[in-house]
Amino acid sequence: MSGGLAPAPFAPVARGVLEFRPMIEWDEMHLSMRDAVRKFVESEVKPKRDALEREEILPYDILRKFFDAFGVAEMNRARGESEVRRAQKREEAVARGEAPPARAKRDGPDPQAGLELAMRMIPVIEFCKYSPGLITALGVSAGLTPNAIISKGTARQIERWALPLLTLEKVGAWAITEPGSGSDAFGSMKSTARRDGDEYVLNGSKTFITNGPYADTIVFICKLDEGNAPSERKVVSFVLDRGTKGLEQSKPLRKMGQHSSPTGELFLEDVRVGRDRLIGESEEGRGREGAKETFVSERTLVAAMALGIIEQCLSLSTEYARTRIQFGKPIGEFQLIQLKLAKMEVARMNVQNLIFRQIAMAAEGKSMDLAEASACKLYSAQATMEVALEAVQLFGGNGYMSEFHVEQLCRDAKVLQIYGGTDEIQISQIARTLLARG
Amino acid sequence: MKILVPLKRTADPDNANKIKIAPGGAKVVTDGLEPKPNPFDEYAVESALRLTENGTNPKARLAGDSVVVATFGAKEASQTLRQALAMGADSGLLFEASDENLDGDLVARALAKVVEREKPDLVVMGKQAVDGDSNQVGQILAERLGWPSATFAMSIELSQDKKSVIVGREVDGGVIKLKLALPAVITVDLRIVAPKSITNHVTPQTHNYQEGARYAPLPMIMAAKKKPLAEAPFASLGVEGVKTSYVKFEAPPARKAGIKVKDVPELVQRLRAEAKAL
Repeated sequence: MSGGLAPAPFAPVARGVLEFRPMIEWDEMHLSMRDAVRKFVESEVKPKRDALEREEILPYDILRKFFDAFGVAEMNRARGESEVRRAQKREEAVARGEAPPARAKRDGPDPQAGLELAMRMIPVIEFCKYSPGLITALGVSAGLTPNAIISKGTARQIERWALPLLTLEKVGAWAITEPGSGSDAFGSMKSTARRDGDEYVLNGSKTFITNGPYADTIVFICKLDEGNAPSERKVVSFVLDRGTKGLEQSKPLRKMGQHSSPTGELFLEDVRVGRDRLIGESEEGRGREGAKETFVSERTLVAAMALGIIEQCLSLSTEYARTRIQFGKPIGEFQLIQLKLAKMEVARMNVQNLIFRQIAMAAEGKSMDLAEASACKLYSAQATMEVALEAVQLFGGNGYMSEFHVEQLCRDAKVLQIYGGTDEIQISQIARTLLARG
Repeated sequence: MKILVPLKRTADPDNANKIKIAPGGAKVVTDGLEPKPNPFDEYAVESALRLTENGTNPKARLAGDSVVVATFGAKEASQTLRQALAMGADSGLLFEASDENLDGDLVARALAKVVEREKPDLVVMGKQAVDGDSNQVGQILAERLGWPSATFAMSIELSQDKKSVIVGREVDGGVIKLKLALPAVITVDLRIVAPKSITNHVTPQTHNYQEGARYAPLPMIMAAKKKPLAEAPFASLGVEGVKTSYVKFEAPPARKAGIKVKDVPELVQRLRAEAKAL
């Protein structure tokens, strides 16, 4: 050493050997997608926002138009068809008495997966700037519901029910919550299925069901009543069609926000179904465990919804602070207003970074564990609520009026802290994981 | 058939009320406005795609057909070209230039050079850019090339032998139809993106397009990254010198507030006495 304080020189590493590309910003292709989706949202969603808010129109036609124009229906159909083939192979192997082939899991980086996650998130962000309820309705209809069928269903069931949901030909609903069972979804669940010969008889009522009033295809989650104690009953799921005898779908419930997403109740009275409607055609379904993957993907989506709402609140607020004159100057020159803008920007950066992390992880062939996904959802939802409340405050009297749209985003934001697991559930999930690490 | 579509990146036309005039009226300031493709140019891309495809399979150009998009602008304008590639165009050309050093005449001369190189059978472009609203380039380009031209097109019918087009133009009292031998220059107006405004004898007559320019499907956006996009300095075209100089920009005078009248007799009285309209 020469004794100087200069750092030791590194030998330069040849390009391509050291491939380290953290995600620090949206790349050109992401921006192209964003621009294309933004154009759609501005010309197809923005003008219909008030009609959606007043519940004069349903979300499904707009969503179908998006699916068709952007090739999403086609991509989803291809994905669904490959799931059908995968399930067929599994069934053939089982019929031959072999172990079912494991789901191919890529080892190492998977840039395509990163791009696909970004491709899913970018429309979520853009739609949520105007109508977060559209994403709730879409996420349940073309995500949660078909995924529940795909993860446990037979090839025939996937083809028959998941495919038309993935393409939005049909509207789907996923029914788990009941009047007496919310966060304690399985523990307090009262809905039952009873065997009766070759058939099952279903009873129970479900509430807060997204798309419930208009769903063509419903995944109904209940407990198999074999005369045993409720806590020992197996959890099973059935697929029901609109119009099935004994099934009643309520009118939309009135609610605080997310008016573009119809929410309702379902009542089942002695609904008789064949075994072909039992998902997996087996009572040994992984009812409880299967929920875990669902929770991770649901929570991932919330961060993207959060970013859309935050970005819009910040952009509307900045513009308002610049142009609203009080005491002879733009209110943006007052420090209390500046504080609000600065806090919103901090939240925007944090949530955006969480999204970049999720995309970067997908590109590395990794995914968040449940605790991290929970932390992500908890922070994003709380940050969104704070930002939206601050935006209303910044707009003052105008913020309280519908015309300025921040009040809608504020009402819409609240449910992010409630659905997909309440803040309290996320907190206990995170804490339990921390404590278990010892 | 090869179609060339020139594109311009403009400041967000939906927020045109946010432009400002620089002190002294030296120029128009568009800071803070998102750059977007000139809408009429997007209609031109849509027209070119409809001319070169079977509308029932808009993902592929017809055998032997291609659409080339070109722009003169900042490096970031490549984004605008990529967007057109994602809609379905085959290749893009970016000639790096600063908008402030261009005028309609220079753009037309430069485009003539691009046409010389690319040898398209047809140039389809927007009738004008929504920022300068000059409405000159198509006309000057046709003149320089010695090609027939039709402006403000609301319909285009490509002949079966692909040797000529019949262009509809809205005029007072109806639609005038012009037959042009190819190669030719067409500038398009808003109605060119109506559901049935383009005929190419391949797309079934029963086919209805969505109104407007198509959205770029997400898989096509990914595929567009692999399509050829060449970049070169504007100087490489070998044309220079602007003939237009802007003396001064002024914002239009603010409108005076109107007045309210209490009834019809007062309205009539004021129209007669003050406005002298009756």
